Amino acid sequence: MVAALTRRFGDLDIAEEAAAEAFATAVRRWPADGVPPNPGGWLTTTAVRKAIDRIRRESKRDDKHKEAQLVYDDDPPEPVGAIDDDRLRLIFTCCHPALAMQTRVALTLRMVGGLTVPEIARAYLVADTAMERRITRAKAKIKAARIPYRVPSAEDLPTRVSGVLAVLFLMFNEGYMATGPDTDPVRHDLTAEAIRLTRLIRALLPDDGEVAGLLALMLLTEARRTARVSAGGELVSLDEQDRGEWDAALIAEGHRLVRERLAAAAGGVAPGRYQILAAINAVHTSAPNTRDTEWSQVVALYDQLVRLDPSPVVALNQAIAVAELHGPEEGLAAVDRLEDQLAGYHAYYAARADLLRRLGRGQQSRAAYDKAIELAGNTAETAYLTRRRDQLR
Amino acid sequence: MRYLVSVIDDKTDPGSTDRQPAISAFNERLIAGGYWVFAGGLADTDAATVVDNRGEQAMFSDGPFLESKEYLAGVWVWEVPDLDVALELAAEASKVCDRKIEVRPFQ
Repeated sequence: MVAALTRRFGDLDIAEEAAAEAFATAVRRWPADGVPPNPGGWLTTTAVRKAIDRIRRESKRDDKHKEAQLVYDDDPPEPVGAIDDDRLRLIFTCCHPALAMQTRVALTLRMVGGLTVPEIARAYLVADTAMERRITRAKAKIKAARIPYRVPSAEDLPTRVSGVLAVLFLMFNEGYMATGPDTDPVRHDLTAEAIRLTRLIRALLPDDGEVAGLLALMLLTEARRTARVSAGGELVSLDEQDRGEWDAALIAEGHRLVRERLAAAAGGVAPGRYQILAAINAVHTSAPNTRDTEWSQVVALYDQLVRLDPSPVVALNQAIAVAELHGPEEGLAAVDRLEDQLAGYHAYYAARADLLRRLGRGQQSRAAYDKAIELAGNTAETAYLTRRRDQLR
Repeated sequence: MRYLVSVIDDKTDPGSTDRQPAISAFNERLIAGGYWVFAGGLADTDAATVVDNRGEQAMFSDGPFLESKEYLAGVWVWEVPDLDVALELAAEASKVCDRKIEVRPFQ
């Protein structure tokens, strides 16, 4: 709805506030008046009316005819890219190269993903006020510098897409591991939206390996979604998941995409990070259980990924895979090497706690669990970590 | 939409000085495309004078308002539909001038 309003009014602020006002009106009225026969249509109509009211209030002095155009010109036809999709246009605007990378992600999560400012601030480990300022500044720049609201032309598309993929991956991750005490541990709305948008990008660029890789990665992750949180709202680790609950159709589609990319890699096209991550997930989703997983392949793929992306978070996941292949002792040594870079990151302490537990070092494990619980933002993960800690002897 | 397009030079690492023919050809294309509003190269910052008449009497000081390694060497004003067009032209301008370019919208 925000996307459609933005297209119509060419202003993110007006669109966002009009949508919010429409929802607020619905909350006030529907309980008394009853829900209208077409709730979506009612909300859109109300939001459009609110937006026009606001424009009237703000621009009494200028552009009378522009206002009239907004009232009478229903959905003016305009040339767009290959796929006419408001959300796609919104995402390309939010991911514009004239904005700083962090700003792009924040803006997309806010405008396309619908996350609140505190949720985004948390994902970025910055204060709410700083995030609010960043988003406000970005919206002001889009307006003042006239960043266009459209899908880039075919020739500009490939260079613009990598930035969009980074944003979609972060959106998916926020959905898959949602932050905040009052948030559902898994936000299917966000994961589904990230997948939907990635599919749209794939339709635009069917031959792009990283687009296919990201889509495969999301599908293979999404396939495990329902098995990942227990009925009691606790995170279920990979080795404890009921693999029969995994979504076979999503896995089949993900595997198809991974095979397509493996064929391309065999033909000499070097895979990017999403394709490697997808391949790692394909190894997991091909195995009947954790014990029979081909960990040597997982470790080899992580080695490849580390060469491409030497970030400490990738190294942490590599260390976890090393623990499965060569034992917890070796895994722990690799994890400990990351202490300086990952102090303050909950997954570092969670990985450490698990390895110390398997090594029978209960006291140290408990301390690491305490730290992980303190830093974890996901309710299901906190519940899981707490149980594991309390089971320590 | 109008944009001020500034050409930024660097005193310690100046761009090449043989760009004028290429810039003239680029200007012709800007005019043909309907983008050209105004253009001009600037004299050295040493030639600048800052005037401040906010107090009791006008003060004149010799030199630019800000001494810096990087400075404004010339400007364009372009009339283009949106930032994408402006940035695409600015990328060309940077090559043509062998200098950095800042694109800033007018209000």
